[in-house]
Amino acid sequence: MKYALYPGCVMPTEQYAYEMSIREIMPKLDVDLVDLKGFSCCGEPIKSVNQMLTLSLSARNIALAEKEGLDIFAPCPICHLALCETKRVLDSDSSMKERVNKHLSDEGLTYTGSSDIVSILDILYDKVGVEKIKQMVKKPFKDLKAATHYGCHLIRPSEIGRSDDSENPQKIEEILKTLGFKPDYYPEKLDCCGGLLTANLPESALTKTGQKLQSVQDQGFDLFVDTCPWCHRQYDSKQIKAGETVAAKLEMPVFYLTQLIGLSMGISSDKLGLNLNLSPIDKIKTGGK
Amino acid sequence: MSIVDLTSMGESQVEVRKEINERLSRLQDEVSDYCYQCAKCTSGCEAHKLLELEPHKIIALLKRGLIDELVNSDLIWTCMSCFKCRERCPQKVAPIDVLFALKNMAVAAGKQIPGNYTAMLQSVLSIGLLQDVKSVATRDNKTVSRSDLGLPDVSKPADPTKFMGMLSKLAVEKV
Repeated sequence: MKYALYPGCVMPTEQYAYEMSIREIMPKLDVDLVDLKGFSCCGEPIKSVNQMLTLSLSARNIALAEKEGLDIFAPCPICHLALCETKRVLDSDSSMKERVNKHLSDEGLTYTGSSDIVSILDILYDKVGVEKIKQMVKKPFKDLKAATHYGCHLIRPSEIGRSDDSENPQKIEEILKTLGFKPDYYPEKLDCCGGLLTANLPESALTKTGQKLQSVQDQGFDLFVDTCPWCHRQYDSKQIKAGETVAAKLEMPVFYLTQLIGLSMGISSDKLGLNLNLSPIDKIKTGGK
Repeated sequence: MSIVDLTSMGESQVEVRKEINERLSRLQDEVSDYCYQCAKCTSGCEAHKLLELEPHKIIALLKRGLIDELVNSDLIWTCMSCFKCRERCPQKVAPIDVLFALKNMAVAAGKQIPGNYTAMLQSVLSIGLLQDVKSVATRDNKTVSRSDLGLPDVSKPADPTKFMGMLSKLAVEKV
């Protein structure tokens, strides 16, 4: 399996742990990642400003991978949705495709629709598969109750073709079980992190984050697992601030799914960027509490 | 360049507004036909719980043609883009898409854009990304850069002039 790694903005400019853990585990799961030059923002975070801009930027990024004949792996769910939605719009509306291609021609690019776009869960669950992950587990975790957070864009809108069920996603749970965790349901599982409000209502964004983490903590979970750099920035990097906005002392270890897979494969914590997680992750170790 | 120049994508503002207007009236027609005010969108809305956004009311106002009032309201900027309204609508109305169109209209009409959107947009236009590469804190209070961590150079538009040209040459006409 070979994919162009489309990094987006948040992961390669500050959420380094996600990128490091992806670059560590993917080759071990026989997924080759190719770095391409020239990618830009997918445009989704500025869709509120101008939707045409989002379409053009996403089409531009897809066109770059098409030029190399590669399918695209977009680890960030927000980028993944933007690219998938753009593909859907342009493949079904030829006049829009023409209009967007007119913009792209300045850089010598053309969108044709030949590349597939896959998400982190598409790769881990559907392409690699839990069986293969299971074979790679050398140091399983034990007896830890895990709360999962998929990220809105990874599962909705299902009309665009998302990575898991929109109301009862289970793929992260399935992967976590093979690593030895005990994932459990909680009523707030589908709640949004609020991250996209950071642009104009940062306090409200943190309140959303704090409310969800507080209820996860109150329900006795040992750790919180996500796959989105925007969500992770809220839950991990800004956990203390999020706690302050809801007047709670939050002490919830937050991990990227890819970091946990790496740890259970026996990869050292340095290589997985664990030193960059700012939530209290020290109490979580392979082999149990 | 003002924000309006940057967002016009080179088609004149008249054209941009015409396009968004068409999008809105298309939405308005579909909405008039299909939305029966079950408020399933509002019951799941992430912004409703915290910021009193009521997507079904947005649709009701659109149905009545109160587009200017909506465009001028701060409420349209409270949407968190969780897509639950679009997912759960039994009639496939997608209030989130109405909100995107209304916000696009507010920008094209030259209304002040809230918060950090201007900075984000300017960053995308100048370096291709929402923000430039940052140094980050570690658990033991050190600061590390991307290259300290052994990560390759970040992917950015190869020819920034051409990239910016693509976006901003298109952005010529002022309101």
